[in-house]
Amino acid sequence: MPVLVQSLRVGWKGLLVWALALVAVMAMYLSFYPSLGGAASGMADMIDQLPEGVVKAIGYDQIATGAGYTQSTFFGLLGFVLGTAAAVVWGTRAVAGDEESGMLELTLAHPVSRAQLVAERALAIFTRLSVLGVVLGLALAAMSGPFELELNGTHIVAVTTAWVLLTFSIAMASLMGGAVSGSRTVALGVGAGLGVLAFLLNALGAQSEQNEWMLGLSPFAWAYRNRPLAEGWNFADLGLLVALATALLAVALLVFTRRDVRS
Amino acid sequence: MTDVVVTTDLTKRYGSVSALDSLNLTIPEGSIFGVIGPNGAGKTTLMRLLVDVLRPTSGSATVLGQHPRAGGKELRGRIGYLPGELHVEPGLSGTGHLNFWTSISPGDRRTVRRRAHAIAERLEIPLDRKAGKLSKGNKQKLGIVQAFMHDPELLILDEPTSGLDPLVQRTFLQLVGEARDEGATIFLSSHVLSEVEQVADLAVVLRSGRIVREASIEDLRATAVRHLRARLTATDLSVVTQRLTALAPGLDVSADGDDVLVSGLVEGRTDELVKALAQSTVADLVLAEPDLEESVLAMYEDKDVA
Repeated sequence: MPVLVQSLRVGWKGLLVWALALVAVMAMYLSFYPSLGGAASGMADMIDQLPEGVVKAIGYDQIATGAGYTQSTFFGLLGFVLGTAAAVVWGTRAVAGDEESGMLELTLAHPVSRAQLVAERALAIFTRLSVLGVVLGLALAAMSGPFELELNGTHIVAVTTAWVLLTFSIAMASLMGGAVSGSRTVALGVGAGLGVLAFLLNALGAQSEQNEWMLGLSPFAWAYRNRPLAEGWNFADLGLLVALATALLAVALLVFTRRDVRS
Repeated sequence: MTDVVVTTDLTKRYGSVSALDSLNLTIPEGSIFGVIGPNGAGKTTLMRLLVDVLRPTSGSATVLGQHPRAGGKELRGRIGYLPGELHVEPGLSGTGHLNFWTSISPGDRRTVRRRAHAIAERLEIPLDRKAGKLSKGNKQKLGIVQAFMHDPELLILDEPTSGLDPLVQRTFLQLVGEARDEGATIFLSSHVLSEVEQVADLAVVLRSGRIVREASIEDLRATAVRHLRARLTATDLSVVTQRLTALAPGLDVSADGDDVLVSGLVEGRTDELVKALAQSTVADLVLAEPDLEESVLAMYEDKDVA
């Protein structure tokens, strides 16, 4: 798979930077947990003072447990934002970026089929996000003890898998936007748009029972609503993320094999 | 002899703009075929249609006996393509590029890699440098290597010599000659007539997506339009005027002090004209090839259409 190998070879430095950034952010947030005193502290009381809707919207209702705290402060916020940023950058570059810079034309004039190019680049993104997922999982396992988070190993794998599949769907949205339009702006917009929409639907859906239907439409909610870090695997939710990513990739393949490549 | 490229009413439209308009073109096997035309004439569109980067609006093309889209990557493996504007991965070295192109080339990897490095050496490319730091000429050389490295049956080269210095241009022409000797067909484009003239056997002139002329290089040269400017001394205005107007009525003849200035466009063979000028003392003579826009326009306006 030469295109896959090439993508990974060109992007390994970027991958390293993303991994370092994610681990640094995670370490910073999680290191506060012991000093907040965990479940025994006044933090739970403080949360009780806040309006219930707000608490649910930012996912702070479980913040007094290690798993809840990690979910709310990292996976629910900056971990999602950084993961989305990496996914959008890679998804945009995969087709639209290369097309706008004019490099795609030359690669496609070689014996590389369009479907092969899109598929291998999607696989390259999946590989990179999986590497980040593994790094995050290992970092989380390593931090669990020192920061008194008391996380379960299987649950760590479940939450990082959810993170990988969530960010991968967003990457596929960007890739699809680019494969359909050939425009970097469109690719960026579609990917970032899905990320924002997923986050907002989740936040609004969590606020009240009236809005609960929104959770059913939010990939963010599919990844985290059943609290993988506290409860473990939920394969139905993960299946939804896989289905979304697959559908986006299918549209990308379908359109890209039929249209002109811009110079 | 079979035909390597055949286009039938090949048309490519962008909205209401026709980039190619019902183009019928045949490139015989083993030939060096040039397409000349000003920028925007449709040269690049034609070449990109042949490698399936673009799809025709109507009409069809066959390349090595197959439709570009149906032939797919196997067909493209038999073609070497140099795009008109070459873009490379800035962070990747020349060697990195050659490795990648080798990995997506058909045939034996080692043979292809060896060929690639041999060509790169002849063109003197600093392969260890990052492509983003290479000069335009050196990038273009990398593009030439990737077109030739897998020993393709058909070379499609869009403005291949742009950015190359004359010495490298000569090496490039040698490569083209060698490829032809090995049985390859070469299809190249230029907006400069002399460039195609040097190497091609046959050529078409393209303008606004149509062929305005299809001819052998000999014929093209014979009808090419050139700029003439001459300063004649020790002669008489009326004598010169009389002598020249019979040969080339479009020329402007005027007096400048004691000298006579002659200027204007000359079409076709220049032999007689130069001899006529030489009957006076020629102090200065410039016979320059105009840019192709002008010569193509001249051909077009003269209804000198094939």
